[in-house]
Amino acid sequence: MESKIDKHPNSYNEEKTMTALELSEQALEAKDEEKNEIAIKLAMAVKELSFQIEENGKRAEELIVANKELAFQSAQKDKRAAELVSANKELAFQNEQKDKRAAELDIANKELAFQNEEKDKRAAELVIANRELAFQKGEKKKRAVELIDSNKEVDELEKRVKERTEDLESFSYSVSHDLRTPLRAINGYAQMLGEDYGNVLDAEGKRLLGEVRSNAKKMGVLIDDLLTFSRLGRKGVRKSNVEMNKLIETVLAEINQSLAHNAEIRFSNLLPATADYILLRQVITNLLSNAIKYSSKKENPVIEIKSELKNGALIYSVSDNGAGFDMQYVNKLFGVFQRLHSDEEFSGTGVGLAIVQRIIHKHDGKVWAQGIEGEGATFFFSLPFNEEKTTENV
Amino acid sequence: MEYNTVEILLIEDNMNDAELAIRAFRKGNISNNLIHLKDGAQALEFLFGTGKFEGRDTSIKPKVILLDLKMPKMDGLEVLTHIKANKLTKAIPVVVLTSSKEHPDIERAYSLGANSYIVKPVEFDEFTKIVADLGFYWLLKNQPPV
Repeated sequence: MESKIDKHPNSYNEEKTMTALELSEQALEAKDEEKNEIAIKLAMAVKELSFQIEENGKRAEELIVANKELAFQSAQKDKRAAELVSANKELAFQNEQKDKRAAELDIANKELAFQNEEKDKRAAELVIANRELAFQKGEKKKRAVELIDSNKEVDELEKRVKERTEDLESFSYSVSHDLRTPLRAINGYAQMLGEDYGNVLDAEGKRLLGEVRSNAKKMGVLIDDLLTFSRLGRKGVRKSNVEMNKLIETVLAEINQSLAHNAEIRFSNLLPATADYILLRQVITNLLSNAIKYSSKKENPVIEIKSELKNGALIYSVSDNGAGFDMQYVNKLFGVFQRLHSDEEFSGTGVGLAIVQRIIHKHDGKVWAQGIEGEGATFFFSLPFNEEKTTENV
Repeated sequence: MEYNTVEILLIEDNMNDAELAIRAFRKGNISNNLIHLKDGAQALEFLFGTGKFEGRDTSIKPKVILLDLKMPKMDGLEVLTHIKANKLTKAIPVVVLTSSKEHPDIERAYSLGANSYIVKPVEFDEFTKIVADLGFYWLLKNQPPV
């Protein structure tokens, strides 16, 4: 900044100086009269000059002070400027930081918005799920009520079954004892008649007597079979490991004692079963007896017993090359008293396969059969394989 | 019949069954010393020498008792209980002869001390054979208690 004080007094002083000089020169040249005038003027100019000089000095001093002050202020100003720069820098940094934060905040806001949206979605889902839950609770309650009702029904049914079973037991006993007794008498007295009065009976008389006896005998077998069948309904299943090869041998030995046959019976390495030994023996007895009976009219009867493990079940089969059956009647095979052959053709009571089916069902297994009339039949039964093995071995 | 020579005591309420049994024994030539009593009460009177059989020498015992289970009044198991509970008679072998293998009392009969349990077959020939075997075993083979 340019100072007014600086310029003005100098040019003024110059002016004043010039005037004094000019006056002096005039004085030199002027007359005495004039000289006095000039001298007065000169003195006044000098006075003025010295005053002005003094003033000038004062001004210079003031100027120095002012300059000093100016310098100080300048320094202060620089300091401030530096401080301002640093403050600006700080501000710029802080701005930058703020921007960063703002950007972060923006992201965070977006995230928050997304989460809010998700939360809303979840809330909506929760509402639906709650409704579903409430519905299910209602259903459950309904079911519980239904269950209580059906439990009552089951209890009632169980009671009735128990009563029926008791009835059946006393009926079985009755049949067994009371029917067999007169039957034995019929058979016995017919024989006595034959023995004691055979000499007065002609051939036809003896034949008629024979019919009485054979029918009484047949009825005895029928009663026995029926009782075996009804007894199975009450008998519990006591499972153990059953060695099938041994069981077949045992059954065959029994059959061979009471029944003459010429069947070739093939079996080897049969898989062991987990079953009630006594019941399974009955199954094998019935199936083998049937196979022997129905193949007895063939020239070379062959019976084969096989076993395999399939779909978690043990499957056993007994095949023969005997009379077979028409697959049309396969459903009748396992019914009680159902027969596919006449008694003249093959004698029987029609209970054997019903017994087989009942026993296998009690073991949670299945029975089925395949046959071709005149060519043979195969009877299958399955037993669950993955059962806990019992410690007892038979 | 001389009661003191009785070897077989048949306790049977059914006359037909009794006749068949007696005939079967006769066929096996072991019917000479058989007495048939129709109910349990009579059987006990015979064994203990009471009532109708007052004065019978009870030290002479049958070699075997054939006992039917199903009888009116006193049934076979009751008779068996008395026989096996009494010192005088408990050593006599008792063969339970019944019509039924369905009989729920098979186990009880054995636990009460029956020596054998036989189901009478319908077929007379079989019945004859069983009776003959029975007589052969208990009268000839078995060494009776002294």
